Amino acid sequence: MREIAVIFRKELRDAYRGRWLIAFAGTFALVALLLSLVQGSGGDIGQQGFSRTTAGLINLCLLLVPLLALVLGASSIAGERERGTLATLLAQPISSSQVIIGKYLGLVAAVWASIALGFGTAGMVMALVSPITDVNHYLLFVALSAVLATAMLSIGMLISVLSDGRLKALSIAIVAWFVMVLLYDLGAVGLALAVSSSGRTLLLVVLGNPIECVRILAIMSLEPDLEVLGPLGSYVANEVGTAAGIALLGSMLAVWALAPLAAALAVARTRDA
Amino acid sequence: MLNATGLTKRYGDVAALDDVGFELNAGEVLAVIGANGAGKTTLIKCLMGLVKFQGNVTVDGIDVARSGPAARRKIGYLPQNPAFHTDLTVAETALFYADLKRVSAARAHQLVETVGLGEHAAKKVGALSGGMRQRLSLAVALLAEPMLLVFDEPVAGLDMPARLELRRLVLEQRDSGRAVVLSTHWLEDVPYIADRVLALERGKCAFLGPASESAAAISPLSRLYLRLNGHTPDAIGIIQEAAPAGAVARSGDWLVVRCKALDKAMVVERLLASGIRVLDFRVEEAPAETASSFHDLTHEGDIR
Repeated sequence: MREIAVIFRKELRDAYRGRWLIAFAGTFALVALLLSLVQGSGGDIGQQGFSRTTAGLINLCLLLVPLLALVLGASSIAGERERGTLATLLAQPISSSQVIIGKYLGLVAAVWASIALGFGTAGMVMALVSPITDVNHYLLFVALSAVLATAMLSIGMLISVLSDGRLKALSIAIVAWFVMVLLYDLGAVGLALAVSSSGRTLLLVVLGNPIECVRILAIMSLEPDLEVLGPLGSYVANEVGTAAGIALLGSMLAVWALAPLAAALAVARTRDA
Repeated sequence: MLNATGLTKRYGDVAALDDVGFELNAGEVLAVIGANGAGKTTLIKCLMGLVKFQGNVTVDGIDVARSGPAARRKIGYLPQNPAFHTDLTVAETALFYADLKRVSAARAHQLVETVGLGEHAAKKVGALSGGMRQRLSLAVALLAEPMLLVFDEPVAGLDMPARLELRRLVLEQRDSGRAVVLSTHWLEDVPYIADRVLALERGKCAFLGPASESAAAISPLSRLYLRLNGHTPDAIGIIQEAAPAGAVARSGDWLVVRCKALDKAMVVERLLASGIRVLDFRVEEAPAETASSFHDLTHEGDIR
């Protein structure tokens, strides 16, 4: 545990020193405030309350958060390997599993901090401008963003362990992001409908992508009749029902946060430093 | 202290190490020698548990493959090219590795001073010279007062004073009861510091025994470039007499003589004694080669 804690602390310190933690927080805050400004009538920030801003932010965050998390995760171990520092680390009394877990937890904590700082700051500014009516929705959105980042970091770590160099890892991460964020919704629906038009098949399609899981979870938790969240989301929300759906999707997100990481640990144990 | 048996490491169809084994006791220095690509670094990586391998390595009875972290707690490792996080300072780097090795901060600071980096403690690692990084790597290796020190080509890139200092350090560590594995391809270091020698050739053990007996089994090579005053055909005959196992080739105005290092002075001496003027010469010392490698080289010459 101590070795994991040492790596965890270093990862957090690197995030702070490298300024990406602050840069991401600033980006999140800016995006939230700009969206609120655009959606507010007459240009007043927060005029429409959190709800409309939250709905818009979900779609934006489903693009932004996976990209950042995938890139961070993918460059972590591959970058250390490329610089030779992974071999130096693994020549110490520490296992590859401890290095990976420490780095993963450090990245998760740093990304959570940037999400909390960025959206927290934006939320406070919006609250100052207009009375708070539905702050719970906004907080839930922030939490879902953190959960999504956790799952995508796990996928990024697996990509990183499988890749020989940082550039290769980043390229795979970008392709994965493109497929999961942009192609999956329409492509998977088309494929699922071609194979079988049952609700069960579509549900499996949703569970096969953590971004879809978060999207549907957001629909169920925030505004079940929200039409802007894509065809798959609306369809599955009606098929499954709220309580069971939330439990199922939440469990699946936990699997997405743990399974790629477990695979990364297994792969790392078979690889040379 | 260190026991290796049946060490084999393959990269695809190529055996980088093939059934290598040895034992090393406390207070002994083992020099691992061989040409580039002979398998020295692969052997070191196996000893450290950095690569998967067949065979068995134990350090103080702990299996490196099964209990890597526990075994590495007893090893201090100085890699050929130390790679640290360049954004950390010297002091932060020492403290980070001290934390990993469960060593006090005071010990880390003390070692930074000991290796002569005290005045550079606040300097970023990225701004250090190669020699300074080697010193930092040495400090990190010594942090946990290991029972076994593993040095992978530590003299590469070091100037002569630093190299002599390293020799002194290795002897100090040996005298303090530590076992030392030292990989090098420069044979002149071996008699000064090693008790035993393991010579690798294409991944196989070509010699394992006392350092005093290694000279007979291992022949360092020299490449002697000679520019003569025109009596080249005569000179070739004389060279072949002086260095019977050597090879001679022409390269422009130069004669290139590949011979045992011990024979090169004899070559020049015989030429001068025969009245052949040597207008110019230079010498390249080849890395360690075993007798069979040398035999291969003698069959590559243009003339012989």
